[in-house]
Amino acid sequence: MTQLLSSQGVDISQRNFQQIIIRGEGKEQFNQIINQEISKFPPSNNLEVTTNDKFLFAKNSFDQWSLIYLVEQDYKEILKFISKINLNDEILASDYSYGQVYFEISGKNKNEFLNQLTHFDLRLKKFPAFTMAQTLIAKIDCTIYNLKDKYIVTCNKSYEDYFKERLKDSIKL
Amino acid sequence: MSAADNKNSSYITDKEVSFKFDGKKYIGYKGDTIASALLRNNVRLVARSFKYHRPRGIYTCGIEEPNGIVQILNEHNEPNTRATVKQIYEGIRVSSQNRWPSLNLDIGSINNLLSPMFSAGFYYKTFMGPKGFWKRIYEPIIRRTAGLGKPPKEFRSKSIHQNHNVDIVIIGGGLSGLITARKLINTQYDVLLLEQDSFLGGILKNSKKIEKINNKEPNEWINETEKLIKDSKNIKILKNSLVTSYNFTNHLIALEDKSVGKKIDINKSELTLHKIRTTHTILANGHIERFISFRNNDLPGVMLAASFEKYIHRYGVVPETSPVIFTNNSTTASLLRSLIDLGHKPAAYVDSRNKDKIGRKLLNYLEKNNIPFYINAEVEGCDGNKKIKTISIKKSNKIIKVKSSMLCISGGINPDIHLFTQSKGLVKWDDKLVTFKPDVSFQNTITLGSVSGNYNYEKTVEEINNKLSFLKTKNIKLKIELNDISNFNIKELWETKHERKSNWSKSFIDLHNDVTTKDLKQAVREGFDRIEHLKRFTTNSMGTDQGKISSINSLGIVSKILKKKISEVGTTTYRPPYAPLSFSAIAGRNTYEFYDPQRKTPIHNWHIENKAVFEDVGQWKRPWYFKKFEMESMHLAVQRESEQTRKTAGILDGSTLGKIEIKGKDALEFMNLMYTNAFTKMKPMSSRYALMLGEDGMIKDDGIVCKFNDKHFIVTTTSGGAPKVLADMEEYLQTEWPHLQVYVNSITEQFSTFNISGPKSRDIVSKVFTDVDFSNENFPFMTFKVFDYMDTEVRVMRASFTGELGYEIYITPNKALELWKKIFHFGKAYDLVPYGTETMHLLRAEKGYVVIGQETDGTVTPLDLNFNWMIGKKKKDFIGKRSLTRSDTSRDDRKQLVGIVPIDKSEFIEEGQHVVECERLPKQIRTPVEYLGHVSSSYHSPNLNHCIAMAMIKGGNKLMGSKLFVSSTYGTKNIPVEVVSPVFIDPENKRLVS
Repeated sequence: MTQLLSSQGVDISQRNFQQIIIRGEGKEQFNQIINQEISKFPPSNNLEVTTNDKFLFAKNSFDQWSLIYLVEQDYKEILKFISKINLNDEILASDYSYGQVYFEISGKNKNEFLNQLTHFDLRLKKFPAFTMAQTLIAKIDCTIYNLKDKYIVTCNKSYEDYFKERLKDSIKL
Repeated sequence: MSAADNKNSSYITDKEVSFKFDGKKYIGYKGDTIASALLRNNVRLVARSFKYHRPRGIYTCGIEEPNGIVQILNEHNEPNTRATVKQIYEGIRVSSQNRWPSLNLDIGSINNLLSPMFSAGFYYKTFMGPKGFWKRIYEPIIRRTAGLGKPPKEFRSKSIHQNHNVDIVIIGGGLSGLITARKLINTQYDVLLLEQDSFLGGILKNSKKIEKINNKEPNEWINETEKLIKDSKNIKILKNSLVTSYNFTNHLIALEDKSVGKKIDINKSELTLHKIRTTHTILANGHIERFISFRNNDLPGVMLAASFEKYIHRYGVVPETSPVIFTNNSTTASLLRSLIDLGHKPAAYVDSRNKDKIGRKLLNYLEKNNIPFYINAEVEGCDGNKKIKTISIKKSNKIIKVKSSMLCISGGINPDIHLFTQSKGLVKWDDKLVTFKPDVSFQNTITLGSVSGNYNYEKTVEEINNKLSFLKTKNIKLKIELNDISNFNIKELWETKHERKSNWSKSFIDLHNDVTTKDLKQAVREGFDRIEHLKRFTTNSMGTDQGKISSINSLGIVSKILKKKISEVGTTTYRPPYAPLSFSAIAGRNTYEFYDPQRKTPIHNWHIENKAVFEDVGQWKRPWYFKKFEMESMHLAVQRESEQTRKTAGILDGSTLGKIEIKGKDALEFMNLMYTNAFTKMKPMSSRYALMLGEDGMIKDDGIVCKFNDKHFIVTTTSGGAPKVLADMEEYLQTEWPHLQVYVNSITEQFSTFNISGPKSRDIVSKVFTDVDFSNENFPFMTFKVFDYMDTEVRVMRASFTGELGYEIYITPNKALELWKKIFHFGKAYDLVPYGTETMHLLRAEKGYVVIGQETDGTVTPLDLNFNWMIGKKKKDFIGKRSLTRSDTSRDDRKQLVGIVPIDKSEFIEEGQHVVECERLPKQIRTPVEYLGHVSSSYHSPNLNHCIAMAMIKGGNKLMGSKLFVSSTYGTKNIPVEVVSPVFIDPENKRLVS
């Protein structure tokens, strides 16, 4: 974890998470295959997020899930897991571990801060805890997970420098 | 007489502020605007008018100001700042604008004498001749003299944007806005209260019209309300925030000035552009007083009556202790009372109404206080040099002259319907109020208070409770006690009749744009009898104030000329913004380094350390070429890089390449449908160059397809085309072929890609990946391998975009730099050279490989590129198949890809030049020169030591060996060229498969 900034009621740190994107139909067999591997069923409602100490599991759309490892895993184990899932013809699991960057944003002013960079409605009544959304933040495609007291924001690694500069710039001004 | 302080005003503080206007130092108070401070110092002349350069003074007390527009010298030379809004601070330097050499002596005022030349629509009637005058005379002069102020210098704005999502927005923190906010305190609604001033209160602080609210002094009630709002959990107040736009779906734009009354901090943002999305919008933005047209109604000293009163109460300055008041309604009674209460006495009170309309109460008050008053009378005009000296009052055909330096006028009040009409709400004419007021809302818009045409403050609470009854709130109860002597009782009056005719004497309808009532009449005479045409012909209400104090007056005057009702004349369109806002505020932080997001590969910093010069490819920063030494030119660098690659080896950072993973039991069928190629017989762990077409049969993208098995593929795309290709795949899967069980994921970011090419590339990769057999037999051309390396997974494909032996290496970004350095470590012995996109283009052109977007432009089919071999002819279907058999796409004379070389090998052909049959172009082209095609790529090949080019030429395939000509940017002589095969190097592919 790298603390990026902490100012004016906003704390931002960069996290070293790993991620798998899973596509599938989300029915019984699909759920069983996933559960066998990580002892956790994928969330069933669109945009729902479930989490524990190790994982964040989110349903991105009707046939897509994000599985984020909150505690760094042996990468070979992740690749092994992906290979196992991919043995099933009806599921596609793609490794996103190092192609994404992860930011944890917390603090009492986190909404106001993020709304400098996105028009997305972050109010709890519109963006409830333990849901996720894909939206533009600082003009780039990001995924935002609402974990009640903090947000996890992810974007493509190629934008890392730009995104960090935008975050710092917004706090500074 | 002169200005005086209102000692009772809380705005008079002991905090004095010094400032400069046109180089002269003045003292004001903290909280003063430039206008109030200048009035306090008896400065009446503050500006010159736009067209005639007439002397002008402060006319209003707010955003509606048409005259007092100044330049702030110490704020990056910020022009067109409204003196009536901008607050002073210690050391602020202000200058008047649109004058030369000085405000007092302005040469431009000669325009006033030449005014007959500048009548309505003169723009459209002059500058027609003599021939050549426009370019040499008119345009340079107009460019030099047009416009207001001077643009800012060396200014980098730090304006920011702030988004809001709320349930209710209240625009205006005056009486109606504050009562509404009180009603909404601690309810379920998220509320944003926007106030353009630095304090709440509006009319409560601008005048003495309201005596008490709930038995409290207005100021006490405002403070109490503000505290209640601040303590609430659901309402946020934004002060100094002017709503400028009301867009569709209740989307509002407000501009917050964060430097009010203080020097701009160059390290902080000075402006915030608030972008607000709301469910309901409550407009409580009040009204604007309008003026009356009469002779010289623009002289410094003429001021709107309500504005005069605002200066007294809001800023504690009485601009003139003995002004003349001229009105057609009773709102001026409040000003009268304010002056009397402070011990001052108006020089005269002129009312165009009769006794009955004025009312006994007001007449008694005038008599009791011994104020000279004239009823059924009008101000005919005023006179003076750069400020008013005498005011001519016309009563019963007699002219009475009164001496005073200020004239306070009120032609009535208009609900401020600007934002309402921006929201597409409809307005209607009210004969009783003599104005337009909101009628039917188009969006979720509620108007409250004077903006809705309710001028009776006592009824405000009732109106709010009624109009907001749909909300889940309780009714609010408040008792409002008025000070008003009289009711509104307006009499229609737009202009008074001139008695003195001269070029200098003018009756203005638009002070900002110098449009006179005479201009309006002339325009109607010339046939511009539609209000929108008339506006454009005369430029009436087209200034930066958008005619806020005068546009209704012009409708009144035009309706009289046309003998129509005002409601029949209609209004012009109110367009955003409500008041000018700077481009810097609109741009926010999306400028300079943040103008567009930048994408970098994991090797980016290594490229910088190795003197890469970057080019933008979409949002990617890609090395264009690498300088070996500081002075090395691009040409030399590219020649060196390409020579070295063909000699030993070169490496390109190709991480930007799009990558898509495709899997599912129907993946093979999907691939066969998406691409022109046939993949059925393709062996597992092999790869193939593939083409993707649009439904029109034109080439859309290309890439390499890697087949793991029939159910699992990986494809690469062009760097720029990756998102579109992925989106198209998803769209086809969800709409055209939902029966196919296939999933696609972008893996562009998950794999960094290096393209290593050259005769020594095998030697280098063999040393890097010692466990992999790179021999030709075990790793043939267009196959790939996946293996573990450095605790991660690596994929290597044997492919080439240079025509040399080559490998594409894919690795996760966390290990990419380490591997890149390792390759260089082992490549050093072979003089491995990094190369950029320019060398990549040169190398591929030597081999005759096309670049999508360079050889193609959306009108090129695979057949045009001689890619017939890439079309799976036995395939039942693929996107674009049917279009390839259309008569137009299959005709022989379409533009086809050929190679061209100059016959004189020392000549160079430029990209984009035309290919023609004639050797020389005529000096004057009278008949079209037949165009055969264009040069799509051209490079100097260091390996062939002459220029090579690719061109798309009509019927090119049949022209092999022909002599044609290519135009050039110098002279009319064309360059003779020979049409050749586009493959210049290794046509037998010996190097590729070596």
